[in-house]
Amino acid sequence: MEYIVNLNKFQGPFDLLFHLIEENEIEIYDIPISEITEQYIIYLNRMSEYSLDVTSEFILMASTLIEIKSKMLLPSFSDNEEDDPRQDLVNRLIEYKLFRDVSEEFKDWEEEELKFLPKPKEEVEYDFKFNEQILFEEINVYDLLNSINSLLKRRKIEIGREAPKFNIRYDEYSVTKCIKIIKNILKDKSKVSLMDIFKIDFNKGFIIAIFLSILEMTRDNTIKIIQDNLFEEIYLISK
Amino acid sequence: MNITEVKSAVESMLFIWGDPLDLKDIEDILQVERVKIDEAINSLILDYESEDRGIILKKFGDSYQLKTKDKNYQYISSLYKPNTHRSLSDAAMETLSIIAYKQPITKIEIEHIRGIKSSYIINALKDRGLIEVVGKMDKPGNPLLYGTTKDFLSYFGLKSLDELPKLPYDEDLRSLEKDHEGED
Repeated sequence: MEYIVNLNKFQGPFDLLFHLIEENEIEIYDIPISEITEQYIIYLNRMSEYSLDVTSEFILMASTLIEIKSKMLLPSFSDNEEDDPRQDLVNRLIEYKLFRDVSEEFKDWEEEELKFLPKPKEEVEYDFKFNEQILFEEINVYDLLNSINSLLKRRKIEIGREAPKFNIRYDEYSVTKCIKIIKNILKDKSKVSLMDIFKIDFNKGFIIAIFLSILEMTRDNTIKIIQDNLFEEIYLISK
Repeated sequence: MNITEVKSAVESMLFIWGDPLDLKDIEDILQVERVKIDEAINSLILDYESEDRGIILKKFGDSYQLKTKDKNYQYISSLYKPNTHRSLSDAAMETLSIIAYKQPITKIEIEHIRGIKSSYIINALKDRGLIEVVGKMDKPGNPLLYGTTKDFLSYFGLKSLDELPKLPYDEDLRSLEKDHEGED
């Protein structure tokens, strides 16, 4: 388990690389690319084993390392130090380390300064945004009391002391009932329009039940729905 | 306004405001010369320096803020747990130090140095008021430029950005690294 915590702490590919460099006590200007690449990839594999998110940046660094490694395998025709394929990576590593070191100092300052406590500003902030005091002009505590009392009284009248009552009604039309209705219509006619069915009863419950019945019947393959053009009448045909 | 009145007014304003208050704002409100305000503030700072006072007047950039003295921190924290004591994560600290030194800086440049996506952290730092957008770069896409705020100075107890230790930037990186090894 300890390992997971350890793996999780890496802030990015540079952080991981630094960890490897420190662990192996390597001179940063002479990184044994082949070994480091190998170790780096082992870490990545372990990270995905523990289902940690191996982000694209980590993979990009792996491919950079492999690229450097392959360049170093090629025979070099110049002694110029600047042609070292590792140079770019080393420069970036050093720059990163610079800020990582300095951020340690920031932590010290933070710790010191956190002991000096300011007073939070929030409580005065509202007055600046809305001029609320104008709204409350010439209003005293008793006005507030009166208004809450009258509010409470009003609510009592509205609701009364008894518990509120709700009427729960049975659905007038069930899907089963509506399927029967549609089947009956289709016995007489070969084709019926949706609007004609709705004309039976323009009640909301009926319309919903009819819709559900049509869907149900289509699923059972007992009817077919046709429409010639967009927004035109929809017809039901028995199968 | 005489100096006594200015001093009294400044103290009241600093107390109610809580956050670092700009010298410019004090000047606009009181309508007195900058020298008078400076004198009042310096006098207040001296008063607070006295051992028997529990408050300190701190300067951050061009703004001032009242804070409780660090020697009394232990008593305050037994009184209540200050919610300001939420220290920044390693990643946030790293990002913030890059912005502090290289401002104005774009998100891309920050990510290049850190080697990892930093949008989330940048937004978190922005929400905490430690950094802000200070402009747009005159380049395709007009990327936003970030810089530190006065709350940043207040958070780290810095009088100004000049107090940040110098980074030997333009020097040879190699000799720089050697120096660091010597310190260790």
